[in-house]
Amino acid sequence: MSAASTPRRRPLLSSRRLATIASHAYIWLCLILFVLPFLALLSQSLGQRGGASGLGNYAAVFGSFGDNLFWSFKITGLTLLIDLAACLPAAYALVRYPVPGKRLLFSLLQLPLYVPGAVIGLSLLLTYTFVYKIDSMWGLVLAMAVGSFPLMMTPIVVAMKDLPVMFEEASECLGATKWQTYRRIVFPLIGPGVSAGLLLCFIIVFNEYLVTLFVHPPALETAPLKVFNLVRTNGLAPTTAALAVTMQLISFLAVIVFFRIFGTRHFKGTYIL
Amino acid sequence: MARLRTAAFLAPAALLALLLLYAPLAFIVNMSFTVTNSFLSPGGPVYSLENYAAMVQRYLPNLFVTVQLAALAMLVDLVLGFPFAYILVRRIRYRDLVRALMVFPMFGALYVAFGMSFILLPGGPADPLIHAFGLRNTDLLFSLPAVVFAMSIFTFPFMVMSIGTALSNVDPTLEEAAACLGARPWQTFWRVVLPLTRAGVVAGSLMVFGWSIGAFAEPLLLGSLNEQRSLALTLYKRGVVENDYGLSSMMGVVLLSVAFVVTYFSLRYSRGALVD
Repeated sequence: MSAASTPRRRPLLSSRRLATIASHAYIWLCLILFVLPFLALLSQSLGQRGGASGLGNYAAVFGSFGDNLFWSFKITGLTLLIDLAACLPAAYALVRYPVPGKRLLFSLLQLPLYVPGAVIGLSLLLTYTFVYKIDSMWGLVLAMAVGSFPLMMTPIVVAMKDLPVMFEEASECLGATKWQTYRRIVFPLIGPGVSAGLLLCFIIVFNEYLVTLFVHPPALETAPLKVFNLVRTNGLAPTTAALAVTMQLISFLAVIVFFRIFGTRHFKGTYIL
Repeated sequence: MARLRTAAFLAPAALLALLLLYAPLAFIVNMSFTVTNSFLSPGGPVYSLENYAAMVQRYLPNLFVTVQLAALAMLVDLVLGFPFAYILVRRIRYRDLVRALMVFPMFGALYVAFGMSFILLPGGPADPLIHAFGLRNTDLLFSLPAVVFAMSIFTFPFMVMSIGTALSNVDPTLEEAAACLGARPWQTFWRVVLPLTRAGVVAGSLMVFGWSIGAFAEPLLLGSLNEQRSLALTLYKRGVVENDYGLSSMMGVVLLSVAFVVTYFSLRYSRGALVD
């Protein structure tokens, strides 16, 4: 009796189990490949070349590159504000109001994402120089904004679509004005979607070097542009690696904080995260 | 009244796109028909097709290299990305961790290329591996495979997410049904999974191709002179360094046209449906 009831022992390495192990191994191999360039930069930035000790490189980041980091934060912050001002009302109108040619309009607003950075850069450089006569920081901010606002738009549109109209109707029935409804009902409920948009725009704009290379005012060098220029002129210096590592760590920190607070589901529709 | 409100809501985004994207693009299309620097000359711009003739006569190899790099990067992404997306959607529970690590390439092609050049440098960490294959560092450091590899790492997350979204809409019971009916694993893949995810695969591939067309840092930092002929880099050299606005605008227009055609088909397969 006991012999019949004991389950047949499974072989230690069945083909099923092998497949499972292989698939996990594959995922981790790919993930290591993704992180490898970052790890290489990290180990290089801690290395000692030219006498400076590892952490000395990071002291340089906040010393001589402090200006560049400051500009990066400033430009990114201003860009995010402009993106918000452009995307919030547009996403609301696209979802709630009858707009003729809605699909076409949405596609036209998404198009900046697909224009190669070098082309955006060149076209803005030429128009700033010959038509708009802009040569201040705002030229760069506007260039960043036009390249990144579609990234913010998509999560907001998705969040708006997931929000039933009845909340707004109820609020209006109860006597709230339009503005009160937007501020008290709509904004809080689409908050996570907006934050997802903010995060995407932040990591793209904060690390953007290509458009910046074309349109930056002479006296202004953001941190990614500094990395680019140093790599071209100064070769593979540990301090440059330290700056690149700092930029990536700040971005990664933003992603981790976001994931912990809101989770990942708000990136639905962006095809990016 | 309602119409006015709609217009007011859409105005900021529309103005941003119109003034800072569509108008400048129209401007460089116009510029691409002017000779060298004639736009600046007091006599007014001289219009001709000279730049496009130069494209056909001198710069076809550049276009070829650009398309070749993008196509190879797309292929690598497709071959490595499909299994990755499949395992990620069907087998993995720690998906958030994978997603978090997957953002690293997204921080920018610049860092990827910069890091890769450290890895491939003589005396770098990849030395034993490279020598094991009987190669020298210089075979890899400034070469086409290095550029393609860096480009495909950068665009990999886009491919995986596009395929993964399509896959998560496919009911797993369909695969089980196929297996129950006696299909072998590759038959299930070929006859059931692939047809059902075709839209995601095509859209993802086209998107990756479109993004790779404008690659800038990878050919510059990892490529030989051949890869450095890619259009985005040539555009920068001609336009910003040598101030030949006509010629570089023409290259911009060519790049733009390729990117737009690719994007059009990509969007037809995936998005657009979002606001309906």
